[in-house]
Amino acid sequence: MLYLKDLTIQRGNKIVFSNFNAIIKSGSTTLIKGKNGSGKSTLLRAIAGFTPLERGTIKRDNKDIFKNNEEWVENLIFLDTKNGLSKDLTVAENLNAWLTMKGWSSNKEIIKMALKSVGMEKYAELYISQCSEGLKKRAALSRLYISFINKVDFWILDEPTNELDTTSLVLFKKLVFKFLEQKGTIIIASHDQNIIEKNFYTLDLDELKKQRVS
Amino acid sequence: MNSVYSNWSNIFIAHVKRDILTNSRSLIDLISIVGFMILIIILFPLGLGPIKEKLNIVSNAVIWVGLILAIIPSLEKLLQKDFENGWLDQIATSPIPLEIIMLSKGISYWLIMLIPLIITSPIFAILLAMDLKNIPWLVISISAGSLAISLIGLSGSALILGARRGNILLPILIIPLMIPILIFGVGVNEAIKINASPYGNLFLLFAFTLIYLVISPFISALLVRIAIGR
Repeated sequence: MLYLKDLTIQRGNKIVFSNFNAIIKSGSTTLIKGKNGSGKSTLLRAIAGFTPLERGTIKRDNKDIFKNNEEWVENLIFLDTKNGLSKDLTVAENLNAWLTMKGWSSNKEIIKMALKSVGMEKYAELYISQCSEGLKKRAALSRLYISFINKVDFWILDEPTNELDTTSLVLFKKLVFKFLEQKGTIIIASHDQNIIEKNFYTLDLDELKKQRVS
Repeated sequence: MNSVYSNWSNIFIAHVKRDILTNSRSLIDLISIVGFMILIIILFPLGLGPIKEKLNIVSNAVIWVGLILAIIPSLEKLLQKDFENGWLDQIATSPIPLEIIMLSKGISYWLIMLIPLIITSPIFAILLAMDLKNIPWLVISISAGSLAISLIGLSGSALILGARRGNILLPILIIPLMIPILIFGVGVNEAIKINASPYGNLFLLFAFTLIYLVISPFISALLVRIAIGR
């Protein structure tokens, strides 16, 4: 369980959340909904530890996750609309760089399997600068496969399916399903309702904000 | 504990490798630095006239100032690219401290962009009619000084992340920090010219390099955290 307690988050001069409370259940998917500008990305970046909290705590098993930040981020995969891919490297080189950055072992076999899981094995040697937006997104999503080899507890995904075609969407859902089977926790921000078909919790930011006003 | 640190060094080397690989794919930055340096070396004799004694007097300073000016345009992109493509966000989820990664960035920048300049500096020195006995000292002082300069540049690059028109701001912010490096770096060879001991200046140059080696990763990491938190 992840307890978000009395969060106040500021972005620039604008207070995006004030005294925001929510619970994110472990071993399941939480879909964060909301209009454009409602603060979906900000919330995800705050949970990942990028955007500092003005006030409040995020607790996991009664421990503040940012007290031991290294332990928290180590088991976390964060993915947003910026994919974190260098356009001067190939798809495989990018994945290799990411793996070693995370401190995980990397070899040809692992990279091949990961790329296969998103249907990218043909494009391994393609430079990111030559990839379409959809291919880039799939190259980034191939990181998710690594969760089945190394210890990963959390996925934080910001609009992961925007550029995907239907075939890749099926592959993505497979990855999600497999991760849930090994008791992983997924937090997704998306305005696409159908991204996950069943067994998910929703966190509607618009609703929550409305309730606070009334 | 031992395994933790060996893991750190593996990740550190992996970061350096990645930076070298990305930069080797687009050599435009390196070409612009070396090209700019060559231009300065060509322009000075044209302005001063071909009298060897005149050139010999200014050669040392011209190479140092040229080095600083030549790398300024490339510093802006040192972290900017990785910031825009989201790599800095990914780095923030690394199990090793951001400070260590920033140190790797500074060192890989030095390896990629400044080693070529250090290697070619004897040629520049000869072109500017520098005495041969000064050249080894020039290489030593530039080697240490350029590491300090890249580390200062790293902090500057982190400072302008996400700022509009940061490229204009950057030289004004970081060149003042490079003044001590310039003074002691040039001082090494000026001491040789008057047959004095160069070690005073050289050791002060080393001291400044070590200071920047220690503080620059912390400053850069702090600034990167602020940039990705915005």
